Amino acid sequence: MKTLLVVDDEPEICDFLKLFFEERKYQVRTATSGQEALDMIPKVKPQVVLLDVHMPGMDGLTALKRIKETYSDIKVIMVTALETREKIEEAIRYGADNYITKPLSLEYLEKDVREKVAHLAGEKISQRE
Amino acid sequence: MKKPYIRRRKRVLKRLLVGVSLFLLGAAIFQSLYLLKGQFPILHWVANPLFLLCLMTLLAIVAYKPLDGLFVEIFKRFLFKKKSYAHLALMRLAEDLRLTLDLQELGNLIVNTFGEILHLKTAALVLPVSPKGKYKIIAGYGWNVSDYRKVHLSPEAPLIHLIRDSGPHVLIRNRIFRMVSWQDANRLAHDFDALRAGWIIPLFVQKEVVGLLAISSPQPDRKFDQADFQLFREFSDSIAKSVKIAAQYSELKQAATELQDSQSQLIQKTKLAAIEQLATGIAHEIHNPLTIISGKAQVLLLRKDRDHLEPNVEEVLKTIVRQTKRAADITRKLLMFTQGTVGKKESLSLEQVLADTIALVSYQTSLEGIEITRSVTPDIPPYKANIHEMREIFFNLILNAVQSIQSPGKVHAELDYDPHDQIWIIRISDTGKGLGQELIDKLFNPFFTTRHGALGLGLFVTKQIVHRYGGSIRVESRPKQGSLFIVQLPYTDKIGSDPLSETSPAQATS
Repeated sequence: MKTLLVVDDEPEICDFLKLFFEERKYQVRTATSGQEALDMIPKVKPQVVLLDVHMPGMDGLTALKRIKETYSDIKVIMVTALETREKIEEAIRYGADNYITKPLSLEYLEKDVREKVAHLAGEKISQRE
Repeated sequence: MKKPYIRRRKRVLKRLLVGVSLFLLGAAIFQSLYLLKGQFPILHWVANPLFLLCLMTLLAIVAYKPLDGLFVEIFKRFLFKKKSYAHLALMRLAEDLRLTLDLQELGNLIVNTFGEILHLKTAALVLPVSPKGKYKIIAGYGWNVSDYRKVHLSPEAPLIHLIRDSGPHVLIRNRIFRMVSWQDANRLAHDFDALRAGWIIPLFVQKEVVGLLAISSPQPDRKFDQADFQLFREFSDSIAKSVKIAAQYSELKQAATELQDSQSQLIQKTKLAAIEQLATGIAHEIHNPLTIISGKAQVLLLRKDRDHLEPNVEEVLKTIVRQTKRAADITRKLLMFTQGTVGKKESLSLEQVLADTIALVSYQTSLEGIEITRSVTPDIPPYKANIHEMREIFFNLILNAVQSIQSPGKVHAELDYDPHDQIWIIRISDTGKGLGQELIDKLFNPFFTTRHGALGLGLFVTKQIVHRYGGSIRVESRPKQGSLFIVQLPYTDKIGSDPLSETSPAQATS
């Protein structure tokens, strides 16, 4: 099962992403803060996390750092309203797998998520061998 | 300024007066001897005409010189005031010196007055120029500007040392050379030659050397005398003071200009920072709702295979997605231009970019009766840049040109390359309404626009991009005479070394 964790402080954004990805046979869980996302990861075990950068409490970049420190095999796609050079540099330094800006192009996002999942599957197969 | 010099007239008159005086003197002696003859018959030979001739000759030989000298003195002092022109000119100079604060103007005034009244070949005012204190000619009489620009003496030059050591005395080349060792004379000669000087008049304020006047040796027929030295001494003092004041004034002015510049830069930076903050705030607050609107519309649209959508509904959904993207682009653009972009750089044919841009706007402009032409210098090398940024430059400049034209008109785009300095040059001219100076000053400010409903970011953004590439942009324009925008992009190695240029993800644009 392809599992996706959507983290955004806007519930409406979580909602339509959940709807969209569920229609494409993903299991989708949502969180509205960085801390909530970190708490959920051990239970949900997502392959891909869509992570908003600007959130109250723990922001996306901190959450990204924590996720990558603990679960290096989880793919994280940063989603943000902003694309300042510093933020992008920081995210890439922390190991973000992609960095996309709002408003989202769902087609592009889905393609990207699919690629990440396929990539993960490929890695697992090669690990087993 | 220059009065007719009356030397010749004076000389004739002087000779005449000397002659008359000699005659009168002779006549007086003769008369008194004649009177004496009555009492002393021994003087009977006085009546002989030969005696008269001898007396006059003797007088002419003995008394001419002293009389001549006497008259010269009298002329100098009382009748014609030989120095009157020089005196007047220098007095006026002293007056003007007090009124002139501009160093260049002051310098010209000084060297020209000196040069003219003393009939000099050359005269130059030499001043220490900050920051290194090198002595340079700031005004020259009888000099080519391009020649005297090349002349400079270090503060350690032998001549400057000599002036410091000897104080405010006029230095005469040949006399100085006789007083020093031949090595020193050699070194000094070099400095004298550089300034084409026979005489150096140092300018002192208290004990500080504020500069010097270098003047050529006087013409052979004109020797400087005691009175000239007196003049030099008197005026070198007031010149020195004025020069010092003017130099300080120009330093102050320079400092004020620099301050103004850095102030306006600071304001510009502050403005940019404010825009960045604003754009960041807007982006955050607006992009989320836009994302929701666009996202939900996309969910519906992507479901159309499963759920049937009325054609008009599908159209509406597409419009929603398109328009939300457009709205988001505004803030993104704002952000992009207040900071560096993450665009990828590649070798571009600017000619191609120009052609694409013209193709993009020419359909619309042809409807409005505006003709866009272009000329491109052959064999322009490719330019390493981000294609979007280059498009932005061309697009903004051409659009700006098109929009300045109200009735049918022309826009001409030129692409040029300077192989010597490795500079790519873009010139966009139009036959539009042109701009006054006060508009030109504001033209590149963010949110400045003369058109109703325009955002006023086009030229601002263009300038930001051009500056990021180390280039320059300027405009030449007059009201009703059209405008010419000139962009110069230099070759730089730094471009393309952006660490993000290869790794930054490209988001799909719908």
